[in-house]
Parts: sequence; structure tokens; C-alpha cells
Amino acid sequence: MLLFRSEQHVDRWCQQWNRPRGGTLSLAQGWKLAQLWYGDRLDSQWRSKSASEAESVFREVGLVGEFWKLNV
Amino acid sequence: MAIGTKTSSTFDQQLRLFVYRYLLRHEKCPRVAEMAKGLARSAKNVRAGLARLSESHAFMMQEDGELWRVAPFSCIPTGFPVRVGRKLWFGNCIWDALGIPAMLAKDARIGAACACCNYDMPIEIRNGKLQTTRGLIHIAVAAREWYKDVVFT
Repeated sequence: MLLFRSEQHVDRWCQQWNRPRGGTLSLAQGWKLAQLWYGDRLDSQWRSKSASEAESVFREVGLVGEFWKLNV
Repeated sequence: MAIGTKTSSTFDQQLRLFVYRYLLRHEKCPRVAEMAKGLARSAKNVRAGLARLSESHAFMMQEDGELWRVAPFSCIPTGFPVRVGRKLWFGNCIWDALGIPAMLAKDARIGAACACCNYDMPIEIRNGKLQTTRGLIHIAVAAREWYKDVVFT
């Protein structure tokens, strides 16, 4: 999960490394995702998210579609 | 990232919290020997606990049995340094780098650059808010494949 200046730089990177274009999100979405994902990590009873819980977090951040699905 | 619910034993919870507390205090991951000493358990017990904690991928191990990743922290230096006050940690990727101030609920400065051209793109978090919105994050691998190709993810 890498940071880029622009869509054009993402395309250039994908071409250089022979990778298909993946998913993109804004830095603001990334920050919200990080808060939802890691905000409870120091809780003593923390447990990893189920696939459904993870998908719910993605939806909350606006990340929807086949790329973000975990339950198949 | 960490997906896949798993019930933890009391020891695993103690081990998990020991690792995070050590990391926060020392700015580096504990070695197996340090975990064994700190928890008064054998290295074998610790390795078994780390293996269980790694099942969710929140923890990941190096080939030598030491920690590689304690999400969102990297146990080895990366291109995502995260400064919180006088402390310095490293994220595994931009999401994890953002995850460190998110987890700590602290202001932070993240050293980051465009993965394509290395253009400097530092990020600051202040009072729980991003101070810049420039740039975008690309995830090369679909969510269900993340742990099959961690390097490119």
C-alpha cells in the first residue's frame, strides 16, 4: 500500500512493475481506515476482525466493489 | 491489516500486550529471548504463542523466528518512518504508517514519498486530523489476496 502524487504516477508505477492496476483511495480515506482499523489495537481483549467486520469497515470508508470483498 | 477471528488464550493476550508495550517503550520489537525473559516463559512457549498470533497476520515472523511485523509497526526500518514526539517507529506501508498515530491517538509526522518518483510527501497528523490531503494510496492486490502477496500489497 503505497503513496503516490497522482493517478498518472500510479499508472506509471504499475507499468514499470508489470502490475495490474489495483484499488485506490484518497489520503483522507486512508486516515479514516487507519483509525477504524487500528484504533482498538491496544485493547486487552482485542481480536482480529472477521471478514464481514472488515468489509463493514471498508464500506464505512466508502471502499466498495469486488476489489474490497473478502467473503466470496 | 488483520482478518480472521481467532479466540486467544490468556498467554497469547499477555504476549501480544507485552510486545506492544515493549515496542512503545523501546521503539523496536522485542526479540524472542526478551519476551521469554519478560514473561518468565520458555522460548519454545513464546515461539508457539507468536505462531498463534501470526495466524491473523497482525503479527508476522522473519525466517529466523524473530518478529517482522507487529501491525501497524514494522520491526525493521522501512520507507515509512513515523515520528511521535521524540519517538520513532516504522510502518510497513502507508496504511500502517497512518495506523501508528491512529492507534496511539497522538500527533505524528510520517515520512513518505511518491512510490513512483520519490517526490517527498510528508504527512502530518495534528489533533486527530490530517494536515494535508495531497496524494492517493494505491493497493496493488485485491483484499482477499493481501496475505498471498504481502510484498506488493
